Amino acid sequence: MGGGLIGCATAWRLAREGAKVTVLDSGDFGMGASGQNAGSLHFQLERRFLENGDALAEQATRTAALNRLAISDWSSLEADLATNLHITMNGGLMVAETAEECALLELKIARENAEGLRTRMIDGHEARQIAPYLSEAICAAGYSPDEGHADARLVTHAIAIAADKTGALLRPRCRVQSIRRVCREYVVRTAAEQFAASQILIACGAWTAHVAAMLNLHVPLFPVGLLMNATERVAQVVPHLVQHVGRRLSMKQTHSGNLLIGGGWPSRMALDAEGRFTLYRPPAVIEASLRGNLRVAIDVAPMVATINLVRSWTGITAISADQLPIVGEIPAMPGCWVAGGGSAFTLGPTFARLIAQSMSGTKCEELEIVAPSRFAHLNSFMGQ
Amino acid sequence: MMRLDHGIERGRRIQIILDGERVDVFEGETLAAAMIEQSSAFRRDSNGMARGMFCNMGTCGECTVTLLPGGQRVRACLVPAQVGMDVTRD
Repeated sequence: MGGGLIGCATAWRLAREGAKVTVLDSGDFGMGASGQNAGSLHFQLERRFLENGDALAEQATRTAALNRLAISDWSSLEADLATNLHITMNGGLMVAETAEECALLELKIARENAEGLRTRMIDGHEARQIAPYLSEAICAAGYSPDEGHADARLVTHAIAIAADKTGALLRPRCRVQSIRRVCREYVVRTAAEQFAASQILIACGAWTAHVAAMLNLHVPLFPVGLLMNATERVAQVVPHLVQHVGRRLSMKQTHSGNLLIGGGWPSRMALDAEGRFTLYRPPAVIEASLRGNLRVAIDVAPMVATINLVRSWTGITAISADQLPIVGEIPAMPGCWVAGGGSAFTLGPTFARLIAQSMSGTKCEELEIVAPSRFAHLNSFMGQ
Repeated sequence: MMRLDHGIERGRRIQIILDGERVDVFEGETLAAAMIEQSSAFRRDSNGMARGMFCNMGTCGECTVTLLPGGQRVRACLVPAQVGMDVTRD
Protein backbone atom coordinates (compact mmCIF):
# COMPACT_ATOMS: atom_id res chain seq x y z
CA MET A 1 0.00 0.00 0.00
CA GLY A 2 1.41 3.33 -1.11
CA GLY A 3 2.63 3.94 -4.67
CA GLY A 4 5.51 6.17 -3.66
CA LEU A 5 9.21 5.57 -4.11
CA ILE A 6 9.42 2.88 -1.43
CA GLY A 7 6.24 1.05 -2.45
CA CYS A 8 7.07 0.97 -6.15
CA ALA A 9 10.73 0.07 -5.61
CA THR A 10 9.85 -2.74 -3.19
CA ALA A 11 7.34 -4.12 -5.71
CA TRP A 12 9.93 -3.88 -8.47
CA ARG A 13 12.52 -5.78 -6.40
CA LEU A 14 10.03 -8.45 -5.30
CA ALA A 15 8.55 -8.93 -8.77
CA ARG A 16 12.04 -9.34 -10.21
CA GLU A 17 12.53 -12.23 -7.79
CA GLY A 18 9.31 -13.81 -9.01
CA ALA A 19 6.94 -12.75 -6.24
CA LYS A 20 3.34 -11.90 -7.04
CA VAL A 21 2.95 -8.25 -6.05
CA THR A 22 0.18 -5.64 -6.17
CA VAL A 23 0.70 -1.93 -5.41
CA LEU A 24 -2.32 0.10 -4.31
CA ASP A 25 -2.48 3.88 -4.03
CA SER A 26 -5.46 6.06 -3.18
CA GLY A 27 -4.23 8.62 -5.73
CA ASP A 28 -1.70 8.55 -8.52
CA PHE A 29 1.76 7.08 -8.03
CA GLY A 30 4.55 9.30 -6.80
CA MET A 31 2.26 12.23 -6.00
CA GLY A 32 2.91 12.32 -2.25
CA ALA A 33 6.22 13.14 -0.59
CA SER A 34 8.07 11.02 -3.18
CA GLY A 35 7.17 13.53 -5.87
CA GLN A 36 6.86 16.68 -3.77
CA ASN A 37 10.35 16.67 -2.28
CA ALA A 38 13.21 18.56 -3.89
CA GLY A 39 15.33 15.50 -4.71
CA SER A 40 18.32 15.84 -2.38
CA LEU A 41 20.67 12.88 -2.13
CA HIS A 42 22.21 13.72 1.25
CA PHE A 43 24.65 11.36 2.89
CA GLN A 44 26.05 13.59 5.62
CA LEU A 45 24.42 13.41 9.03
CA GLU A 46 21.40 15.72 8.83
CA ARG A 47 21.35 19.04 10.64
CA ARG A 48 18.07 18.10 12.34
CA PHE A 49 19.89 15.27 14.12
CA LEU A 50 22.52 17.64 15.48
CA GLU A 51 20.31 20.27 17.10
CA ASN A 52 18.64 18.06 19.69
CA GLY A 53 21.47 16.82 21.85
CA ASP A 54 24.14 14.12 21.78
CA ALA A 55 21.86 11.14 22.34
CA LEU A 56 19.95 11.72 19.10
CA ALA A 57 23.15 12.53 17.18
CA GLU A 58 24.67 9.27 18.44
CA GLN A 59 21.60 7.29 17.44
CA ALA A 60 21.40 8.95 14.03
CA THR A 61 25.07 8.24 13.40
CA ARG A 62 24.21 4.57 13.50
CA THR A 63 22.12 5.05 10.36
CA ALA A 64 25.38 5.80 8.49
CA ALA A 65 25.48 2.20 7.27
CA LEU A 66 22.21 2.88 5.44
CA ASN A 67 23.72 6.01 3.88
CA ARG A 68 26.65 3.94 2.58
CA LEU A 69 24.22 1.50 0.97
CA ALA A 70 22.18 4.38 -0.45
CA ILE A 71 25.28 5.79 -2.16
CA SER A 72 25.71 2.53 -3.98
CA ASP A 73 21.98 2.08 -4.72
CA TRP A 74 21.69 5.56 -6.29
CA SER A 75 24.92 5.02 -8.23
CA SER A 76 23.43 2.03 -10.02
CA LEU A 77 19.76 3.06 -10.27
CA GLU A 78 19.86 4.64 -13.74
CA ALA A 79 21.71 1.64 -15.17
CA ASP A 80 19.30 -0.78 -13.44
CA LEU A 81 16.30 1.06 -14.89
CA ALA A 82 17.98 1.92 -18.20
CA THR A 83 16.63 5.46 -18.01
CA ASN A 84 17.82 9.00 -17.27
CA LEU A 85 16.62 10.26 -13.89
CA HIS A 86 18.92 13.30 -13.83
CA ILE A 87 20.86 11.75 -10.99
CA THR A 88 24.01 13.74 -10.33
CA MET A 89 26.44 12.85 -7.58
CA ASN A 90 29.03 15.62 -7.97
CA GLY A 91 29.52 16.06 -4.24
CA GLY A 92 27.86 18.05 -1.49
CA LEU A 93 28.95 20.73 0.93
CA MET A 94 27.47 21.30 4.37
CA VAL A 95 28.69 24.79 5.20
CA ALA A 96 29.42 26.63 8.45
CA GLU A 97 29.54 30.39 9.08
CA THR A 98 30.47 30.67 12.77
CA ALA A 99 33.08 29.17 15.11
CA GLU A 100 30.32 27.21 16.89
CA GLU A 101 29.12 25.79 13.60
CA CYS A 102 32.69 24.81 12.66
CA ALA A 103 33.01 22.94 15.95
CA LEU A 104 29.69 21.17 15.30
CA LEU A 105 30.89 20.26 11.83
CA GLU A 106 34.11 18.75 13.22
CA LEU A 107 32.18 16.57 15.68
CA LYS A 108 29.77 15.52 12.95
CA ILE A 109 32.53 14.56 10.54
CA ALA A 110 34.39 12.60 13.23
CA ARG A 111 31.19 10.61 13.81
CA GLU A 112 30.72 10.01 10.08
CA ASN A 113 34.31 8.94 9.49
CA ALA A 114 34.06 6.49 12.41
CA GLU A 115 31.10 4.93 10.58
CA GLY A 116 32.97 4.72 7.28
CA LEU A 117 31.50 7.71 5.43
CA ARG A 118 33.98 9.60 3.25
CA THR A 119 33.10 13.10 4.50
CA ARG A 120 35.99 15.49 5.09
CA MET A 121 36.39 18.88 6.71
CA ILE A 122 37.55 21.64 4.39
CA ASP A 123 38.22 25.30 5.19
CA GLY A 124 36.44 28.24 3.58
CA HIS A 125 39.17 28.74 1.01
CA GLU A 126 39.01 25.15 -0.22
CA ALA A 127 35.20 25.27 -0.14
CA ARG A 128 35.27 28.28 -2.49
CA GLN A 129 37.77 26.52 -4.75
CA ILE A 130 35.34 23.62 -5.10
CA ALA A 131 32.28 25.88 -5.11
CA PRO A 132 33.18 29.41 -6.25
CA TYR A 133 29.58 30.58 -5.74
CA LEU A 134 29.96 30.33 -1.93
CA SER A 135 30.12 33.50 0.16
CA GLU A 136 33.30 34.78 1.85
CA ALA A 137 31.38 34.27 5.10
CA ILE A 138 31.65 30.49 4.79
CA CYS A 139 34.49 29.47 7.13
CA ALA A 140 34.34 25.70 6.69
CA ALA A 141 32.36 22.90 5.09
CA GLY A 142 31.83 19.19 5.36
CA TYR A 143 32.51 17.81 1.91
CA SER A 144 30.95 14.53 0.82
CA PRO A 145 32.10 13.42 -2.64
CA ASP A 146 28.98 11.30 -3.19
CA GLU A 147 26.15 13.72 -2.45
CA GLY A 148 23.99 15.15 -5.18
CA HIS A 149 20.40 15.11 -6.35
CA ALA A 150 17.89 13.41 -8.61
CA ASP A 151 14.69 14.53 -10.28
CA ALA A 152 11.97 13.50 -7.84
CA ARG A 153 9.35 13.93 -10.60
CA LEU A 154 10.99 11.18 -12.65
CA VAL A 155 12.27 8.63 -10.15
CA THR A 156 9.08 7.05 -8.77
CA HIS A 157 7.43 7.08 -12.18
CA ALA A 158 10.40 5.25 -13.74
CA ILE A 159 10.45 2.67 -10.96
CA ALA A 160 6.69 2.14 -11.27
CA ILE A 161 7.14 1.45 -14.99
CA ALA A 162 9.92 -1.02 -14.19
CA ALA A 163 7.71 -2.73 -11.60
CA ASP A 164 4.91 -2.98 -14.15
CA LYS A 165 7.26 -4.49 -16.75
CA THR A 166 8.47 -7.11 -14.28
CA GLY A 167 4.90 -8.20 -13.67
CA ALA A 168 3.79 -6.27 -10.59
CA LEU A 169 0.13 -5.24 -10.68
CA LEU A 170 -0.19 -1.47 -10.26
CA ARG A 171 -3.47 -0.05 -8.98
CA PRO A 172 -3.54 3.76 -8.81
CA ARG A 173 -6.70 5.48 -7.54
CA CYS A 174 -7.70 2.46 -5.48
CA ARG A 175 -8.23 3.56 -1.92
CA VAL A 176 -7.85 0.81 0.65
CA GLN A 177 -11.11 0.53 2.57
CA SER A 178 -10.28 -2.25 4.98
CA ILE A 179 -7.53 -4.67 5.93
CA ARG A 180 -8.35 -7.86 7.78
CA ARG A 181 -6.05 -10.53 9.03
CA VAL A 182 -7.58 -13.93 8.32
CA CYS A 183 -5.54 -16.91 9.55
CA ARG A 184 -2.10 -16.26 8.06
CA GLU A 185 -3.29 -13.97 5.32
CA TYR A 186 -4.14 -10.33 4.95
CA VAL A 187 -7.28 -9.46 3.02
CA VAL A 188 -7.15 -5.94 1.61
CA ARG A 189 -10.31 -4.45 0.12
CA THR A 190 -10.76 -1.52 -2.19
CA ALA A 191 -14.11 -0.31 -3.54
CA ALA A 192 -13.98 -2.72 -6.49
CA GLU A 193 -11.52 -5.46 -5.59
CA GLN A 194 -10.22 -7.70 -2.86
CA PHE A 195 -6.65 -8.93 -2.53
CA ALA A 196 -5.23 -11.68 -0.34
CA ALA A 197 -1.55 -11.54 0.57
CA SER A 198 0.77 -13.43 2.86
CA GLN A 199 2.66 -10.19 3.48
CA ILE A 200 1.74 -6.52 3.21
CA LEU A 201 3.79 -3.30 3.26
CA ILE A 202 2.33 -0.01 4.44
CA ALA A 203 4.47 2.71 2.82
CA CYS A 204 1.93 5.52 2.66
CA GLY A 205 4.05 8.40 3.95
CA ALA A 206 1.97 10.76 6.05
CA TRP A 207 -1.06 8.47 5.56
CA THR A 208 0.74 5.50 7.13
CA ALA A 209 -0.83 5.96 10.56
CA HIS A 210 -4.35 6.07 8.99
CA VAL A 211 -3.75 2.85 7.05
CA ALA A 212 -2.19 1.09 10.04
CA ALA A 213 -5.30 2.03 12.04
CA MET A 214 -7.27 -0.35 9.80
CA LEU A 215 -5.32 -3.13 11.52
CA ASN A 216 -5.84 -1.58 14.95
CA LEU A 217 -2.18 -0.58 15.10
CA HIS A 218 -0.29 2.55 16.04
CA VAL A 219 2.58 3.71 13.84
CA PRO A 220 4.00 6.92 15.35
CA LEU A 221 4.47 8.86 12.12
CA PHE A 222 3.32 12.47 12.12
CA PRO A 223 2.62 14.68 9.11
CA VAL A 224 4.94 17.63 8.60
CA GLY A 225 4.34 20.42 6.07
CA LEU A 226 7.44 21.76 4.37
CA LEU A 227 8.29 24.54 1.93
CA MET A 228 10.35 24.34 -1.25
CA ASN A 229 11.20 27.03 -3.78
CA ALA A 230 12.27 27.11 -7.41
CA THR A 231 14.05 29.95 -9.15
CA GLU A 232 14.01 30.69 -12.83
CA ARG A 233 16.41 28.74 -15.06
CA VAL A 234 19.94 30.10 -15.12
CA ALA A 235 23.24 28.86 -16.58
CA GLN A 236 24.69 25.91 -14.66
CA VAL A 237 26.50 27.33 -11.64
CA VAL A 238 25.75 25.02 -8.66
CA PRO A 239 26.78 21.45 -9.52
CA HIS A 240 26.65 20.37 -5.84
CA LEU A 241 24.14 19.76 -3.09
CA VAL A 242 24.58 22.66 -0.65
CA GLN A 243 23.43 22.37 2.96
CA HIS A 244 24.14 24.31 6.15
CA VAL A 245 25.16 22.75 9.47
CA GLY A 246 23.53 25.45 11.62
CA ARG A 247 20.71 26.87 9.49
CA ARG A 248 17.97 25.30 7.40
CA LEU A 249 19.12 25.05 3.81
CA SER A 250 19.26 22.61 0.96
CA MET A 251 20.09 23.98 -2.46
CA LYS A 252 20.78 22.40 -5.81
CA GLN A 253 20.43 23.18 -9.49
CA THR A 254 18.25 21.03 -11.70
CA HIS A 255 19.13 19.68 -15.10
CA SER A 256 16.96 22.47 -16.57
CA GLY A 257 18.83 25.15 -14.64
CA ASN A 258 16.36 26.05 -11.86
CA LEU A 259 17.76 26.40 -8.36
CA LEU A 260 15.68 24.41 -5.87
CA ILE A 261 15.87 25.89 -2.39
CA GLY A 262 14.47 24.27 0.73
CA GLY A 263 15.92 22.69 3.83
CA GLY A 264 13.16 22.03 6.32
CA TRP A 265 11.30 25.33 6.60
CA PRO A 266 7.74 24.78 7.85
CA SER A 267 4.53 25.42 5.96
CA ARG A 268 1.14 25.57 7.66
CA MET A 269 -0.92 22.40 7.45
CA ALA A 270 -4.61 22.74 6.66
CA LEU A 271 -7.23 21.71 9.22
CA ASP A 272 -10.43 19.75 8.63
CA ALA A 273 -13.90 20.65 9.93
CA GLU A 274 -13.07 19.11 13.32
CA GLY A 275 -9.88 21.14 13.62
CA ARG A 276 -7.53 18.22 12.97
CA PHE A 277 -4.65 18.28 10.52
CA THR A 278 -5.80 17.19 7.09
CA LEU A 279 -3.66 15.55 4.44
CA TYR A 280 -6.15 16.28 1.69
CA ARG A 281 -5.29 19.93 1.13
CA PRO A 282 -1.80 21.31 0.58
CA PRO A 283 -0.22 23.28 3.42
CA ALA A 284 -0.05 27.07 3.07
CA VAL A 285 3.18 28.99 2.58
CA ILE A 286 4.35 30.75 5.75
CA GLU A 287 5.83 34.06 4.67
CA ALA A 288 8.46 34.06 7.42
CA SER A 289 9.63 30.63 6.21
CA LEU A 290 9.91 31.85 2.66
CA ARG A 291 11.89 34.92 3.71
CA GLY A 292 14.08 32.92 6.09
CA ASN A 293 14.79 30.21 3.53
CA LEU A 294 15.84 32.69 0.83
CA ARG A 295 17.89 34.69 3.36
CA VAL A 296 20.02 31.61 4.19
CA ALA A 297 20.41 30.80 0.49
CA ILE A 298 21.63 34.34 -0.25
CA ASP A 299 23.94 34.39 2.78
CA VAL A 300 25.52 31.14 1.59
CA ALA A 301 25.56 31.91 -2.15
CA PRO A 302 25.18 35.68 -2.79
CA MET A 303 24.43 35.21 -6.51
CA VAL A 304 21.03 33.80 -5.51
CA ALA A 305 19.97 37.43 -4.84
CA THR A 306 20.22 38.16 -8.57
CA ILE A 307 17.91 35.32 -9.62
CA ASN A 308 14.11 35.47 -9.71
CA LEU A 309 12.00 33.17 -7.62
CA VAL A 310 9.36 31.61 -9.88
CA ARG A 311 7.60 29.21 -7.59
CA SER A 312 7.17 28.12 -3.98
CA TRP A 313 5.42 24.87 -3.21
CA THR A 314 4.51 22.96 -0.10
CA GLY A 315 4.43 19.25 0.52
CA ILE A 316 3.69 16.88 3.37
CA THR A 317 6.18 14.36 4.63
CA ALA A 318 6.10 12.23 7.77
CA ILE A 319 8.37 12.34 10.78
CA SER A 320 8.59 9.65 13.45
CA ALA A 321 8.33 10.12 17.20
CA ASP A 322 12.13 9.81 17.57
CA GLN A 323 13.07 11.33 14.16
CA LEU A 324 14.57 8.10 12.78
CA PRO A 325 12.72 6.30 9.99
CA ILE A 326 10.45 3.37 10.87
CA VAL A 327 11.19 0.46 8.56
CA GLY A 328 10.51 -3.21 9.13
CA GLU A 329 8.02 -5.81 10.27
CA ILE A 330 5.60 -4.84 13.04
CA PRO A 331 6.23 -7.24 15.96
CA ALA A 332 2.54 -7.37 16.95
CA MET A 333 1.52 -8.23 13.39
CA PRO A 334 3.76 -10.78 11.63
CA GLY A 335 3.75 -10.29 7.88
CA CYS A 336 2.82 -6.61 8.16
CA TRP A 337 5.68 -4.33 7.19
CA VAL A 338 5.91 -0.59 7.42
CA ALA A 339 8.33 1.94 5.92
CA GLY A 340 8.46 5.70 6.22
CA GLY A 341 9.43 8.61 8.39
CA GLY A 342 12.04 10.91 6.99
CA SER A 343 14.99 10.84 4.58
CA ALA A 344 12.92 8.45 2.52
CA PHE A 345 13.90 9.91 -0.85
CA THR A 346 17.64 9.51 -0.23
CA LEU A 347 17.16 6.19 1.59
CA GLY A 348 14.08 5.02 -0.36
CA PRO A 349 15.74 2.72 -2.89
CA THR A 350 17.79 1.17 -0.08
CA PHE A 351 14.81 0.67 2.24
CA ALA A 352 12.95 -0.94 -0.67
CA ARG A 353 15.78 -3.32 -1.52
CA LEU A 354 16.25 -4.35 2.12
CA ILE A 355 12.51 -4.77 2.74
CA ALA A 356 12.18 -6.93 -0.38
CA GLN A 357 15.12 -9.01 0.80
CA SER A 358 13.66 -9.32 4.31
CA MET A 359 10.19 -10.21 3.01
CA SER A 360 11.82 -12.94 0.96
CA GLY A 361 13.25 -14.40 4.16
CA THR A 362 16.81 -13.01 4.38
CA LYS A 363 17.16 -10.94 7.54
CA CYS A 364 18.82 -7.53 7.09
CA GLU A 365 20.90 -6.31 10.01
CA GLU A 366 21.11 -2.86 8.44
CA LEU A 367 17.41 -2.31 9.18
CA GLU A 368 17.71 -3.06 12.92
CA ILE A 369 18.44 0.58 13.80
CA VAL A 370 15.17 1.67 12.16
CA ALA A 371 13.02 -1.33 13.18
CA PRO A 372 9.43 -0.65 14.34
CA SER A 373 10.15 -2.84 17.41
CA ARG A 374 11.44 0.24 19.26
CA PHE A 375 7.82 1.41 19.36
CA ALA A 376 6.39 -2.05 20.20
CA HIS A 377 5.08 -0.69 23.54
CA LEU A 378 2.59 1.51 21.63
CA ASN A 379 0.94 -1.63 20.31
CA SER A 380 0.94 -3.58 23.61
CA PHE A 381 -2.81 -3.17 23.80
CA MET A 382 -3.45 -3.02 20.07
CA GLY A 383 -3.52 -5.40 17.11
CA GLN A 384 -5.84 -8.36 17.06
CA MET B 1 -0.21 33.32 -35.46
CA MET B 2 -3.27 35.19 -36.75
CA ARG B 3 -4.25 38.57 -35.30
CA LEU B 4 -7.73 39.98 -35.07
CA ASP B 5 -7.83 43.05 -37.29
CA HIS B 6 -11.41 44.31 -37.07
CA GLY B 7 -12.97 46.16 -34.20
CA ILE B 8 -9.67 46.37 -32.33
CA GLU B 9 -7.85 49.51 -31.26
CA ARG B 10 -4.10 49.16 -31.02
CA GLY B 11 -1.08 51.35 -30.42
CA ARG B 12 0.97 52.52 -33.38
CA ARG B 13 3.42 50.25 -35.15
CA ILE B 14 6.85 50.52 -33.55
CA GLN B 15 10.03 48.48 -33.67
CA ILE B 16 11.75 46.56 -30.91
CA ILE B 17 14.79 44.31 -31.07
CA LEU B 18 14.08 40.64 -30.45
CA ASP B 19 17.11 38.34 -30.27
CA GLY B 20 19.15 40.93 -32.17
CA GLU B 21 16.63 41.45 -35.01
CA ARG B 22 14.31 44.42 -35.58
CA VAL B 23 10.67 43.38 -35.50
CA ASP B 24 7.47 45.36 -35.96
CA VAL B 25 5.11 45.30 -33.00
CA PHE B 26 2.23 47.40 -31.69
CA GLU B 27 3.14 49.87 -28.99
CA GLY B 28 1.66 48.84 -25.65
CA GLU B 29 0.93 45.22 -26.48
CA THR B 30 2.80 42.79 -24.26
CA LEU B 31 6.21 41.54 -25.26
CA ALA B 32 4.71 38.04 -25.16
CA ALA B 33 2.10 39.04 -27.77
CA ALA B 34 4.87 40.47 -29.94
CA MET B 35 6.97 37.32 -29.49
CA ILE B 36 4.14 34.94 -30.28
CA GLU B 37 3.55 36.76 -33.57
CA GLN B 38 7.12 35.85 -34.53
CA SER B 39 6.96 32.25 -33.36
CA SER B 40 4.88 30.25 -30.93
CA ALA B 41 8.08 28.52 -29.80
CA PHE B 42 9.76 30.73 -27.20
CA ARG B 43 12.58 28.35 -26.40
CA ARG B 44 13.78 24.75 -26.53
CA ASP B 45 13.82 22.68 -23.35
CA SER B 46 16.75 20.50 -22.25
CA ASN B 47 15.45 17.70 -24.49
CA GLY B 48 15.29 20.01 -27.51
CA MET B 49 11.50 20.24 -27.46
CA ALA B 50 9.80 23.54 -28.26
CA ARG B 51 8.13 25.38 -25.39
CA GLY B 52 5.85 28.36 -25.74
CA MET B 53 3.32 30.47 -23.92
CA PHE B 54 1.61 28.78 -20.99
CA CYS B 55 -0.37 30.91 -18.52
CA ASN B 56 -0.16 34.43 -20.06
CA MET B 57 -0.91 35.94 -16.64
CA GLY B 58 2.42 36.18 -14.85
CA THR B 59 2.19 32.97 -12.88
CA CYS B 60 4.20 30.30 -14.66
CA GLY B 61 7.39 32.12 -15.64
CA GLU B 62 7.61 30.28 -18.98
CA CYS B 63 7.91 33.54 -20.96
CA THR B 64 10.76 35.05 -18.94
CA VAL B 65 13.09 37.14 -21.13
CA THR B 66 16.12 39.39 -20.58
CA LEU B 67 15.95 43.14 -21.24
CA LEU B 68 19.18 44.65 -22.58
CA PRO B 69 21.33 46.48 -21.79
CA GLY B 70 20.35 46.28 -18.09
CA GLY B 71 19.92 42.51 -18.03
CA GLN B 72 16.65 42.56 -16.04
CA ARG B 73 14.73 39.30 -16.19
CA VAL B 74 11.04 39.99 -16.77
CA ARG B 75 7.92 38.04 -17.65
CA ALA B 76 7.14 38.97 -21.25
CA CYS B 77 3.40 38.55 -20.65
CA LEU B 78 3.40 41.43 -18.14
CA VAL B 79 5.59 43.99 -19.89
CA PRO B 80 4.25 46.36 -22.58
CA ALA B 81 6.34 46.82 -25.72
CA GLN B 82 7.93 50.24 -26.03
CA VAL B 83 10.02 51.88 -28.74
CA GLY B 84 13.62 50.69 -28.81
CA MET B 85 13.32 47.80 -26.35
CA ASP B 86 16.03 45.18 -26.73
CA VAL B 87 14.76 41.73 -25.72
CA THR B 88 16.63 38.45 -25.58
CA ARG B 89 14.99 35.07 -25.22
CA ASP B 90 16.93 32.13 -23.71
